[in-house]
Amino acid sequence: MTPTRFRSHWLPRTTSGRLAVVLYVGLFALCMPPVTHVLWDQSDRWVGGVPVFFVALFVVYTLLIGVLVWAWRKGL
Amino acid sequence: MEAWVVATGLIFVYLLATVVLGAVANRRMTVDMEDFLLYGRKAGFVVLYLTVVATFHSAFAFLGSGGFFYSHGIGFWAAGTWTVLVGAITYVLGPRIWALGKRFGYITPADMLADFYESEAVRVLVAIVSVVFTILYIQVQAQGLGYIINVASGDRISFELGTLILLIVAAAYLMAGGLRAVYWTDVIQGVWMYIAVWVGAMYLAYELFGGPIELMRAVGEARPDLLSLPGPNGFFTPGMWIGMTITLSFGIIFQPHMMIRYYTAVDSKTLKILGATTPIYLMTLYVPAALVGLGGAVAMPGLDVPDRIFPELLFAHAPPILTGVILAGATAAAMSTLDSILHANMSVLTRDIYQRYVAPDREASHYVWVGRGIVLALLVVGYFLSVRTFDFLVVLVTLSGSGALQLMPAILGVCFPGPRLTTRLGVLTGITAGLATLYVTLVVAPHPMGLHGGVWALGVNMLLTLVVSRVTQPPSEETVQRIHGEIESEIYGSSSA
Repeated sequence: MTPTRFRSHWLPRTTSGRLAVVLYVGLFALCMPPVTHVLWDQSDRWVGGVPVFFVALFVVYTLLIGVLVWAWRKGL
Repeated sequence: MEAWVVATGLIFVYLLATVVLGAVANRRMTVDMEDFLLYGRKAGFVVLYLTVVATFHSAFAFLGSGGFFYSHGIGFWAAGTWTVLVGAITYVLGPRIWALGKRFGYITPADMLADFYESEAVRVLVAIVSVVFTILYIQVQAQGLGYIINVASGDRISFELGTLILLIVAAAYLMAGGLRAVYWTDVIQGVWMYIAVWVGAMYLAYELFGGPIELMRAVGEARPDLLSLPGPNGFFTPGMWIGMTITLSFGIIFQPHMMIRYYTAVDSKTLKILGATTPIYLMTLYVPAALVGLGGAVAMPGLDVPDRIFPELLFAHAPPILTGVILAGATAAAMSTLDSILHANMSVLTRDIYQRYVAPDREASHYVWVGRGIVLALLVVGYFLSVRTFDFLVVLVTLSGSGALQLMPAILGVCFPGPRLTTRLGVLTGITAGLATLYVTLVVAPHPMGLHGGVWALGVNMLLTLVVSRVTQPPSEETVQRIHGEIESEIYGSSSA
């Protein structure tokens, strides 16, 4: 008997799925080294009275949650 | 009224409420393994949400995170990365694990892995990893609880007595109502701890600095070293950032007390909403922690034990009633994790060891009573470990955070169908090699080349799992079709290969 295998679940199969993965991975890269240690680590720059490091990462985290909510609303 | 009376009194009011909830849960319980161990697989969104977040955030999040900001500065805002990753993991893996649990009656993580890999050796190894690497958290949480009640009572209740009281209360409501009691108390605990951290931090920010913005400005002037990477002690290197992100997301999710929660959802949609929204709670809890830790470094420098910064600031600057409410919140944070770990260990030992190898084919009521007996035994072990210090425990605690992470390749092999299969020998080799590597990279030569030891161990584990799986016998065709077919059907609505 020839073994049958399922199509890989590692790669999304729809356009919306691919978009969600690209968005999530791309945004996630913004909260990981080297971006954190090069781009956001500027203790002399502040936004609205808060260090840019804290604000930038808060924005990225919020966008990541936004991608998950969008995926859920799209039924992915 | 003195602060310690109010603080201790509120903690005991909170404890009484959890016991009452346990009693009510007991009246709703049916004598059934799934009801006792899995809430009857009926957990809806609100209950599941609050139990997941309350369990994820332990005494460490309440007290230790403030201490981390205090010692290592703004780099601990990395916590946001692993909390948003936890959401994505839940979104992707949760429905798959739920579907398999529902379809094949799995109760523990070892049930799922042993079924797919057709191996009792996998069951035993996973059960051992599940228990060994989480039983130590009983010690950690119990010690946190003893410390909280000791601080709240102003040393009038000893650490040992406080630990014993809180362990007995957690065990009592777990034995009475099973996972239903744990979930219901987690609902209170999840709400209470979130409000307590935010209210306490904002109160202190306004009381000491005039507001959060002014607090940040004061930190910038007095301790600018806390506002840059890698922090005053050089802790938050890129390697440590990456390592903590992986070990504190996957590593915690794969612990049995978290994975079992996926089995308990009423449906898979609930898990997707959960994945999308839990990071909101998990991530935003670190905002007040940052205010407490960074503000505390300016207002109260030189603490010998940085984890004490939150209660120390409260006792020094907050009114007694507020201090009491917030310390009760800290108790909630620790107990919500402690009861879940007690429950998970009880489930693993009852299901994977006792029911499987000691006394199969007994009545459900028999296993429920055995489970209660195991909770009692865990209470005794937990108390003993909490009040004594052993050298080998220090080593095991060091390993514990990354231990469950070593189950990752095996779990992904079950949950992600594809043309290449992971095999029994592959995962046994990978897990064993991963644990051995973990000992070397965390204990013998910690964090080689600045990269977290848990990541080194996971890398070795994954490599060996893949290589050995290429040359060894995969699971039978029937099993692959049955289990991967169920996942294909759940995710894409069709089971055709």
